Amino acid sequence: MYADKPLNKFLSSLAVNGVLALICLLWTIPTIGLLVSSFRDRLDINSTGWWTIFPHQDWVKVAELRPEEGVDRNTPMTLGGVTHTFEEFRDGVQVGNQRYKWIGNRRIGYVQVQEYRWTANTDFTLENYRQVLAGGNYTATLKDGTTVTELGDDMSGSFLNSLAVAIPSTVIPIALAAFAAYGFAWMRFPGRKMLFILVVALLVVPLQVALVPILRDFVTLGINGTFLAVWLAHTGFGLPLATYLLYNYISELPRDIFESAFIDGASHFTIFAQLVLPLAVPALASFAIFQFLWVWNDYLVGLIFIGATPGSQLVTMRLAEIVGSRGQDWHLLTAGAFITMLLPLTVFFSLQRFFVRGLLAGSVKG
Amino acid sequence: MSKKLFNLVSVLVLTALILAACGPAATPAPTEPAQPTGTILERAMAGEFKGAVVTATGPFVDQDAQKFEAMIKEFEDQTGIDVQYQGSKEFEASIKAAVTAGNAPDIVDFPQPGLLSTFVAQGKVTDLGQFFDRATLEQTYNPSWLDMAMLQGPNGKIMAGVWERVNGKSLVWYPKKAWDEAGYKIPATWDEMKALMDQMVADGSTPWCVGIESGAATGWVATDWMEEIMLRTTSLENYDKWVAGTLPFSSPEVKNAAEVMSDIWQDKYVYGGQAGIVKTSFSDAPLPLFDADGPKCWMHKQGNFVTSFFPEGSQAGVDYDFFYFPPLDAAYGKPVLVAGDIWAAFTDEPAAIAVLEWFTHGSHLKSWMQAGGAIAPHKDADLSWYGNDIERGVAKIIQEATSVRFDGSDLMPGQVGAGSFWKEMSSYVAGAEDLDTALKNIDASWPK
Repeated sequence: MYADKPLNKFLSSLAVNGVLALICLLWTIPTIGLLVSSFRDRLDINSTGWWTIFPHQDWVKVAELRPEEGVDRNTPMTLGGVTHTFEEFRDGVQVGNQRYKWIGNRRIGYVQVQEYRWTANTDFTLENYRQVLAGGNYTATLKDGTTVTELGDDMSGSFLNSLAVAIPSTVIPIALAAFAAYGFAWMRFPGRKMLFILVVALLVVPLQVALVPILRDFVTLGINGTFLAVWLAHTGFGLPLATYLLYNYISELPRDIFESAFIDGASHFTIFAQLVLPLAVPALASFAIFQFLWVWNDYLVGLIFIGATPGSQLVTMRLAEIVGSRGQDWHLLTAGAFITMLLPLTVFFSLQRFFVRGLLAGSVKG
Repeated sequence: MSKKLFNLVSVLVLTALILAACGPAATPAPTEPAQPTGTILERAMAGEFKGAVVTATGPFVDQDAQKFEAMIKEFEDQTGIDVQYQGSKEFEASIKAAVTAGNAPDIVDFPQPGLLSTFVAQGKVTDLGQFFDRATLEQTYNPSWLDMAMLQGPNGKIMAGVWERVNGKSLVWYPKKAWDEAGYKIPATWDEMKALMDQMVADGSTPWCVGIESGAATGWVATDWMEEIMLRTTSLENYDKWVAGTLPFSSPEVKNAAEVMSDIWQDKYVYGGQAGIVKTSFSDAPLPLFDADGPKCWMHKQGNFVTSFFPEGSQAGVDYDFFYFPPLDAAYGKPVLVAGDIWAAFTDEPAAIAVLEWFTHGSHLKSWMQAGGAIAPHKDADLSWYGNDIERGVAKIIQEATSVRFDGSDLMPGQVGAGSFWKEMSSYVAGAEDLDTALKNIDASWPK
């Protein structure tokens, strides 16, 4: 009885971990597929699945047999010592451990000798990444009839633009929301509850309905198409959640700290700057991750407020453009997706230790 | 005290300055311009609008945008006007927001007249008729193009735009090398094509590759087929009535066209079977023509843009070629279905109008035609300007056509042409509903 306990514990933890591992695997399979595809050629992606890179059993071609000139392909033909009709060859003829299979049309096809054996598809290429980073090739015919290959746009410009949008769009709402959260949590003024409810209620306003009115205002103010416009838009849409999240965290800070600070004669600003900000770092960092990822991945807000300005493409817009006017270069999306993923991943992992703590902000009333 | 006053004054001055900056720009005093001579383009070429900036947008991006930049540079060098183009993959959404907010670029490239007509009806588009003379335009355009640019505004029909580039649609692509090896002949009539299809089936292969999947636009390929067959089975009057909404989808003419199409879109004739049509993306559909083990299908009907989806390195005239989608009934001649890009102006600034006037001359497109990827609708564009035989051939087919009609779904109202027509045809092809239901549903969706 006593000896069973560690075993039981081991088994149950094994079960839990096993299930978790399985869920993780299922969850990441599409990403793995995308990663594998980003190293494969367009035609390969089209003809075989990405999982064929793993060793598997399949019919592999070992030889080709072509009917001689003049053989009537409408009658039984003798190829490699066996005689069958076109239809029979097309369905595949089993000879020992080999299969004779007609490939293609009756008029121009041939018989392939295949063997069932272990195989793996290992044709990898870096071409997709090269085209995304350095720009795709396209050929144009010059006036004298020669063709030249020119490089298309690369991604570096849009990377910088995205940074120029994402960093201020993360810092501004955090700064404003931290002030607001402190005010709502620790300052007494009339209408405080109503104002706070109003801010929280703004969470449910979908940003799509606000796009055109805001665009109209920006046009009147003459700031449409500038970075300032996008910063303001992201700030506005990000503030309600930021205020709510930070309020929950800041209002949970121990009252004693504030009281002793007041007694020592500290003003609200001193308390905010010296006490609240350092204590709220986990919540600030976790919201910074949220907001940064959201802005980095945003397509719509950027498209509407800055998309029409030449030379100010964001990464998401560039990613959409990579596929070309008619979507002919869809295979480049795989590589493009992984390249644009790098920065958010870096941000996430460098701030990750705050993330879990911040997520719990205000969730447990104590 | 005086310091306080000074502060107060400076605050007031600053406020006034800010208010002035936010307010509408002061209108410059009307200077009497020197009596203009010549057309707006001639004045632009003389340097009259030097330094002006014209903003432009459109749906083409990446390589096409680069070819456009290369082309427009010639204009910029000659006139000193700066044309700033920024394309968008979500063109339709972004242009709608921009126009609604009163922030439209000066000139806009519309791939379909349908969307443009919405803005014309709202009275937002400049009437080009006040700048251009129709008789002059007829020297460079076939009158039917000019007619197609006349759209209904709030105060009657206006000349809403100028055509710049076109696509030929009535083309069937085939793998030339294998085709010749197999000894197939290019069909000149519908019956020859049907015979060829049966011959291919007897040879153990499938004749057609068809794919109509295209994300949110799934089904547009089917509407192209319908339009082709409509042009081949009924009169042009009926086609125009159908596009205008007076000939319903449930009429025998339209139903017949759908049946002729389904007659080809059968399991034995289409690679992947009828069920595969809806699942195959239009961009991947032509690839089986180029399969390493020999063509898996032999024919693919699509506009001339499809060559950009062919495998890299495949050569026109060697690996692939095209023929004209054969006529069905001799009574209706050799019609050609086209689509094209029309440029409209949202301003009456002369510099912007000068760009549009430049577009009305075939010669402006010369460098793009040379580079490949553009076909001119202009009469004064020379066939020898094309950089490749494929585009020259397509241009020739358009020129030799007995009748040219624009892609009907692009002309129908958005709810139908970019909505129910796509959706219902997809449901019908997928076998989710029968033909009568599909056609009835399209009729029901037509805006009253």
